[in-house]
Amino acid sequence: MTPMNNSSDALVLGIDTGGTYTDGVLLEYHSRTVLAAHKSLTTKRDFAIGIEKVIEGIQIQDPSSIQMVSISTTLATNAIAEGKGKRVALFLIGYDPELVASFQMERHFATPNFYYFAGGHDLFGQEKEALDLTALLKKTNQVKNQVDAIAISSYFSPLNPEHETRAYNAISQVCDLPIVLGHQLSTKLGSVERATTAALNASLLSVLQDFIVAVRRAMEHRGIDAPLMVVRGDGTLMSDEFAARSPVETIHSGPAASAIGGRFLSHQDDALILDVGGTTTDLALIQGGNVSISETGASVSGYKTSVKAANLLSIGLGGDSHISVDRENNIVIGPERVVPLAYLAHQHPEIQTRLKALIQKTWPPPTPSWLEYWYLLRDPGDNLRAFSDREKTLIKILKAGPIAIPDLVKQVNALHKNQLGADELIRREIIGKAGLTPTDLLHIDGRHTPWDVKTAEYGLKLLSNHLHWEEPGLTEFIWTLSSELIAKAIVEFLTEKSVPPSSAHSPDLGLWFFRNSLYAEHPHLATQIHLQYPIIGIGAPADIMLQDVAKLLHTELILPDHYFVANAVGAIAGSVMVSEEILIYPHLSEAGMDVISYYVQARDGREEFEELDDALDHARKSGYDRVLSAALRSGADNPQVVVEEIADGIDSYRIHLQAVGNPRLSK
Amino acid sequence: MMELVRVDTQRAYAAIREKIATLELAPGAPVDEGKLARELDVGLVPVREAIKLLVHDHLIEAPSMGLFIAEVKIPELRQISEIRLLLECYCAQQAARFATPDDLVVLEALCREQSQVPPDEPRLLFELDHKFHQAIAQAAHNKYLADILDDFFGLSQRLWFLALPHLEFLPAAVEKHLELVAAIKAQDENHAEAIMRQHIQSFYDKVFETLQNLS
Repeated sequence: MTPMNNSSDALVLGIDTGGTYTDGVLLEYHSRTVLAAHKSLTTKRDFAIGIEKVIEGIQIQDPSSIQMVSISTTLATNAIAEGKGKRVALFLIGYDPELVASFQMERHFATPNFYYFAGGHDLFGQEKEALDLTALLKKTNQVKNQVDAIAISSYFSPLNPEHETRAYNAISQVCDLPIVLGHQLSTKLGSVERATTAALNASLLSVLQDFIVAVRRAMEHRGIDAPLMVVRGDGTLMSDEFAARSPVETIHSGPAASAIGGRFLSHQDDALILDVGGTTTDLALIQGGNVSISETGASVSGYKTSVKAANLLSIGLGGDSHISVDRENNIVIGPERVVPLAYLAHQHPEIQTRLKALIQKTWPPPTPSWLEYWYLLRDPGDNLRAFSDREKTLIKILKAGPIAIPDLVKQVNALHKNQLGADELIRREIIGKAGLTPTDLLHIDGRHTPWDVKTAEYGLKLLSNHLHWEEPGLTEFIWTLSSELIAKAIVEFLTEKSVPPSSAHSPDLGLWFFRNSLYAEHPHLATQIHLQYPIIGIGAPADIMLQDVAKLLHTELILPDHYFVANAVGAIAGSVMVSEEILIYPHLSEAGMDVISYYVQARDGREEFEELDDALDHARKSGYDRVLSAALRSGADNPQVVVEEIADGIDSYRIHLQAVGNPRLSK
Repeated sequence: MMELVRVDTQRAYAAIREKIATLELAPGAPVDEGKLARELDVGLVPVREAIKLLVHDHLIEAPSMGLFIAEVKIPELRQISEIRLLLECYCAQQAARFATPDDLVVLEALCREQSQVPPDEPRLLFELDHKFHQAIAQAAHNKYLADILDDFFGLSQRLWFLALPHLEFLPAAVEKHLELVAAIKAQDENHAEAIMRQHIQSFYDKVFETLQNLS
């Protein structure tokens, strides 16, 4: 329950929908006081369900007093990674198909439906080829019933978007699909990145719109009537209407929010943020109070975009990472996330009995696959018509209760778990997996014991017997491995180089240096790696999994208050930001020798000035008014505009304008 | 204007407008906000906001008691049709003066698409026909003219829908469209205006005849 608030309090709600958990936090904004928090499982098939559960769990006394809701989400990143975006037709104007093919760039466009058309401009903003509008409209008619959105990218469109604009005007008259234009998303000149970004944005439009509609609905159900903000990949906030138009900017918003939250709660302006979640550990850097932004555009699932996002690294290691062995009996942690055995046994006590019986069997000793359990996560109901025969069999078996993989494989008459044909059921969250995890180890040593300790103990014993490695040594090794993997990630993240995988007789000096700095193995040479910034740990497993990491890198670990929900705090702690980049470049004469005038190309329009000074003045002034107005409309309070001018060659400039302000809270 | 409207309100507006246009929400029927919110799976707030916009569009009426889908009255339709005839003919004339090569590409593409639609798809033909007229309005390069015509179309759309199943001549309209595009391309204002007049007049005559027979 929330304490009574006085009239000068500003109550805000921050929500982070992560890969595993959805966290919500109720904050009094000015005092930075966390009043309530709640964690619930993320429901990937419909994020809004988890969100509504979290809002319900926080038990807000007076929902109408909430002045802002802000969400960070992995929705965009997940949709791209899992191919759940909508179908897009990408129209490439003025691109050279042979050039694209020679660099094998086709795979990078993020859609298989891309088409080339004559047109485009050159480095001087001049038309290099006439636009083939007829072909564009012909193709539109052919594809409009097979795709959900259209993306258009024209060569050098940031300098002169005329062909994209003409294409948009024509296409929107013959078809009602949403259309995304490359030049409105990016002013960078990377033609492939811009096309990819446009295609990804188009594929995410209705995904994000559905999400916002659902969040709004959840808010209304709970009696909350407040502005809704969405976090960008650089940690800043945008209004839900901006997010609905540029969903691609929400890529990486989850980890960015964590970094911002870590800073907000710890008051540290220079630090390395490590967010340890259930599935992944995410790294970000705070310098001078701001999240470090990546110079190159954000990358998602191998697609390079031109979206500016926080510089991050994410590794598949978290509190619920699956601890297993590989073919050579080496311990492997992650990248898959499973439900801890202790938790499953807590729900299904028979598992404890079964494991106890198993470990008493000494010959042949049971393999670690007996620790992998599958269970029915969500009952699909009685209507199973949509499922294959194999899927129906699996569901039937699991309805009777959780089952260990070797038993399941036998019952289904398969030879190996890879033949079970359950991928779709797992993806749809009908089947869940359980196994040994760091959380189970915490149950055993008593540090975190909400569920069945005995089962965790039996699980470890089984693994210990299989490896002929007594439990204390085995446990210590697992924790050491976990710390080593995280320390390695830190070093790779900050150096932007990689440490080769550990191997017994590697001649690689980098690997030796790294290991020696952690374990002081060499008799004559001592090496150390000192991390010059403190580590701010956030996420529930942070305390346990990062203490040793900080020691290995000779730095301190800071766990701010409420560190376990810092990601949700970060969703509200960001600033509202709107930015625009205006390009100024010369209009050259036919021979290319004289400057006739200067073009000022902004996102929505272009003007021409005879004198460079007039062009610069105009760009500054009109850009200033535009970003200020947009920031106000986005919900910024008294936004301040920062202008940066970058010379970009002879007589060319990039005017970067940014309006930033705290979210406006008032009722 | 739609950019200023919340995402869920936009959804509700588009969905409810479609239901009104296709007569799923019948003329004169009372409006049940709660039911709409449930069907569209949005909150009540966006439905209410959408209704406000639809009242502004004259598609929903709010007399002193309750909310109703606007009635479709034939006498009013005559008035709207007279204005449309006037404006569409002016439109065709202006298009002949101001149409750019890009405009012509769009018009030709629409004609091509129309000729490929099978005659047993009246709804599709009707929508293409509307797009064609909108494209002519764009080609006239007068945004106020285009806006007014859009408003009028919204008001009369449902009546066309009522008459549609009984109309058999829409496919023939394609030829008229081709003639019109040719006149515009040739920048022949008078000819363009005349074709449009004849095209629309005969359309309205047939529709009114059909509606009289229906009632």
